[in-house]
Amino acid sequence: MQDNLRRDPFPLKTYKHIGERGPRRLDGYHKASGRADYTMDVQLPGMLYMRFLNSPFPHAKIKTMDTREAETFPGVRYVLRYDNPELPERASMGKLTGIYGDPPPLSGIAHFEGEPMGAAVVAVSEEIAEDALELIRVEWEERPFNLDVLTAMEKGAPLSYPEMYPDSNYWNNGLFDEMTQGNVKKGFKQSEKIIEFEFNRRSHTWIGPERPCGVFRWKGDVAEVWVKQQRPHLVKKNLSTWYGGVPMNKIQLHCLYQGASFGGWVQVPWNMGPLYCAGFVSKKTGRPVKYTFTRREDFYGESMDEGVYRFKVGFNMDGTILAVECSSICANQIFPVFNAVNHIRESTRVPHLYGKIFSIWINKGPAVPTRCEQLPATLSLTAVFSRVAAECGLDPVEVALKNDGFEGHGKDRFEKEKKGLGFPAIDSLKECVEKGKAAIDWDDKWHRPGTKTLPNGRMHGMGFTWTNEWDDSLGSAEIAIRIERNDGTASILSMGCDNGVEAENTYCMIAADELGLRLEDVSYNPQLDPGFFRMSPDSSTNLSVNGWAIRHASRILKQRILEAAVAPTAKTQRGSMRPAFPDCKPEDLDIVDSVIVKKADPSEGISVADFVREAGQSGPVTSTESGGFRWAFTEPLFAFSYHVQMGSYNPENPRPHLTRQAHFLEVEVDTDTGEIFVVKTVNVNDVGKAINPMSCEGQQYGGTIMGLSRGKFEEMIYDPVTGVMLNGNLLDYKIATTLDVEGPIDTILVESGMGYGPYGSVGIGEDVGTVMTGLLGPAVFNAIGVWIDDHPITPEKVLKALGKI
Amino acid sequence: MADHEIKPSICPYCKKEFDSIDAMKQHVFKAHRGSDPPSPEGDIRLNINGNDYYLSVEPRWTLYDVIHDRLGLTGSKQFCDRGACGSCTVIMDGKAVLSCMILAIECDGKAIETVEGIAEKNHPLIESYVKHHAMQCGYCTPGFVTTSKALLDRNIHPTENEIKEELSGNLCRCGTYPQHTIAVLETAEKLRTGKADGAEKAQGDG
Repeated sequence: MQDNLRRDPFPLKTYKHIGERGPRRLDGYHKASGRADYTMDVQLPGMLYMRFLNSPFPHAKIKTMDTREAETFPGVRYVLRYDNPELPERASMGKLTGIYGDPPPLSGIAHFEGEPMGAAVVAVSEEIAEDALELIRVEWEERPFNLDVLTAMEKGAPLSYPEMYPDSNYWNNGLFDEMTQGNVKKGFKQSEKIIEFEFNRRSHTWIGPERPCGVFRWKGDVAEVWVKQQRPHLVKKNLSTWYGGVPMNKIQLHCLYQGASFGGWVQVPWNMGPLYCAGFVSKKTGRPVKYTFTRREDFYGESMDEGVYRFKVGFNMDGTILAVECSSICANQIFPVFNAVNHIRESTRVPHLYGKIFSIWINKGPAVPTRCEQLPATLSLTAVFSRVAAECGLDPVEVALKNDGFEGHGKDRFEKEKKGLGFPAIDSLKECVEKGKAAIDWDDKWHRPGTKTLPNGRMHGMGFTWTNEWDDSLGSAEIAIRIERNDGTASILSMGCDNGVEAENTYCMIAADELGLRLEDVSYNPQLDPGFFRMSPDSSTNLSVNGWAIRHASRILKQRILEAAVAPTAKTQRGSMRPAFPDCKPEDLDIVDSVIVKKADPSEGISVADFVREAGQSGPVTSTESGGFRWAFTEPLFAFSYHVQMGSYNPENPRPHLTRQAHFLEVEVDTDTGEIFVVKTVNVNDVGKAINPMSCEGQQYGGTIMGLSRGKFEEMIYDPVTGVMLNGNLLDYKIATTLDVEGPIDTILVESGMGYGPYGSVGIGEDVGTVMTGLLGPAVFNAIGVWIDDHPITPEKVLKALGKI
Repeated sequence: MADHEIKPSICPYCKKEFDSIDAMKQHVFKAHRGSDPPSPEGDIRLNINGNDYYLSVEPRWTLYDVIHDRLGLTGSKQFCDRGACGSCTVIMDGKAVLSCMILAIECDGKAIETVEGIAEKNHPLIESYVKHHAMQCGYCTPGFVTTSKALLDRNIHPTENEIKEELSGNLCRCGTYPQHTIAVLETAEKLRTGKADGAEKAQGDG
């Protein structure tokens, strides 16, 4: 087990593929040519299609349900009712269900409008299933509902989830999370100035391009399942408890390419319920069953930052922040780990902090980590720092540098901490901001708020924010590598969700460099189920856990190959043959470009392919021995390893976050229309070590576009009278297009080597999309000189802020 | 005549009626030997990626349903459900169209190109897309490829703004937009300079 809390003590001496730009994407041709298969594309002989009834009310219970007409509709093969006596009351559904309690696979009570519940129709086509759903007659018991956290908090408000929370709409009947550092009262007393402000973030969601879906086929007692799931290992775990128990070794998963869900769908506590229903009906009908959600049903839950955030901040006029107090009231948050002042605690020297979160149940879908759960904390850091800079009349970059640190400690202690862990004294934030400022020409372009009108009549604004890099959370992975017969190529074995972050190539790069193989000789198909599972992009980590497991496995495997190279080959009952390198010890050898060579004389070597030899006619290893002739062959060359990471976001965080990110935004605001034009963006991320730089950059520009899309447009709108979501489709719920982030996005990577991951890396996937979500606020303020505290910042809100409407 | 009784057999080529199937078969053998297969009445003909398909379709099936579900050309994807995302884009008679917004019966006789056809022809767009990471989860990628191909078919000198404008109907949630512009500009350059021929064959590692 690698102690990865400190600086990597065993780095590679040289890198060949690690850090290289431009290795061909493993998934590239599949995806560009339309050959990439997704669960949505799966069609099996005799397959049936399952669709769900949706609640027309935001809070209602089924009193009676008549499904007879649907059952006899031509083409319908099964109607599964919530009150089917064979359905269990509750079933294990996933990691987060502890908070809700294990839910029923199919509920008879709806807690938000559009909730898939009550009945599932299974038919020979999706269209017939849809038509048959219309024939189900339900008598509903309509219940009062809440759509807004503030009114749901009031005394006498109707209960949103009375089954789980019979006393009030407060999570746990009280405070959801509370965090104290120092003493805020003392901090406010010491402060030269105190400000108070509040902002709102409206509900938004993940928009997974591939809709939630799954296919279930029973082959006798073997369950074969295709899943759209970021955490396939959890499907297997839960499925093994369903239907009276299915042995783990009789579950065969397929996790095809995944049309992304940014953490959202997988975190919905009962996301496996439809799969349970599909398996249930597959058993009843003897046919494969595919369930699909509609696009509207994918608007099923929301990101966990919807809410109201109230701040009191004390600071000195030189930009030193002394105390931050925050009370946030969030909607339907499902786990209590992320206080809104969390990033201020993790990334700054601000000594006095107090944060509390109330999670209030309202009749909308569950609010789950959606790239990602750090949204409340990063929105807050951006708001606090940009407010303080504005109040002091200072450059916000200066205020950031002044307050950089960790858990209330300043620069000196921070440097001491880094040194103690074996790292050089690198000032990650300083490096990030210097590079970013130069790229966006900050010193020339930044100005006092509301002071610059451009020749085109628009107001010009500059925004800046920063925080730590957090993608090295706790997690675990089991990964194996096998050298194939015949050609000596290496296959990485471990199932995970490939949702496009190009992680698989990154793992191949690590394995190639560690094993001494050519990159084209290493491949990885994470869609197969070999019984090993890795971190998929989830739980805020991927590379920083899996990378270690790959590296361990590669080093073990390399040693095994070199040991085999000096050991007798072709061992059978008749004896053995001479070693490939009879006069060497393993340490005399190395592997370079897929060739086993003598270190002393690299020209003497044998390729890994020639070493492992071809498969035999009779079995995978050798053909019959006859006439004195025998094949040379090696033992199977296979190694596995695992890694368990006690990284950040462990309950007892083992070390401070050491790496930083900084983002710069240039906007123009049309004061006649309220439109915001993004002229230029610069993302700077200290990723520790950029193993696959193009993949990192993909998360930078991709995250910028997603983040700005949320900041500009995204909000689910509900009718306050009926509780019905009005824009649950992609025409009315806008996400950014090619035309909506107008200017270039410069991506800069800093490599300080201070992450938890192998070679000092830290992941990047969640960071930019999350941090950029709030950056429009300070940029628009810098342009128009008025704060808009209601996100998303739509043209209407800009015009209101300007007093034009 | 009761429904279950066999009706006189009709020659699918010349519509002549016969008393029995065997008599009709004899006639076809003699009179129409060597002819192309007849188009069954009520079927539609789609020419997809250069191949003719004769299909019996339900009136409500969309072109997407036929291409994706019936013909198994699963490169066309459905991201939204109402012509808002561009993922189901195919090229019909030279124009990029949304296959989920067109009824299949309206497409009788049309020539259609899907992403699979573009890849089979080793169009340089494919390699440019791979090289520049113009994809992440990849679900929307085929729609971008088909839309870009339609643009390049009619304009080999697109500007950056023209490309952005053309692709503005294609949604990508992973935010890969900047790479599409780079990939399409590079492809246009390859097509102009002829570098796409021979040396720039797409590697069909699928």
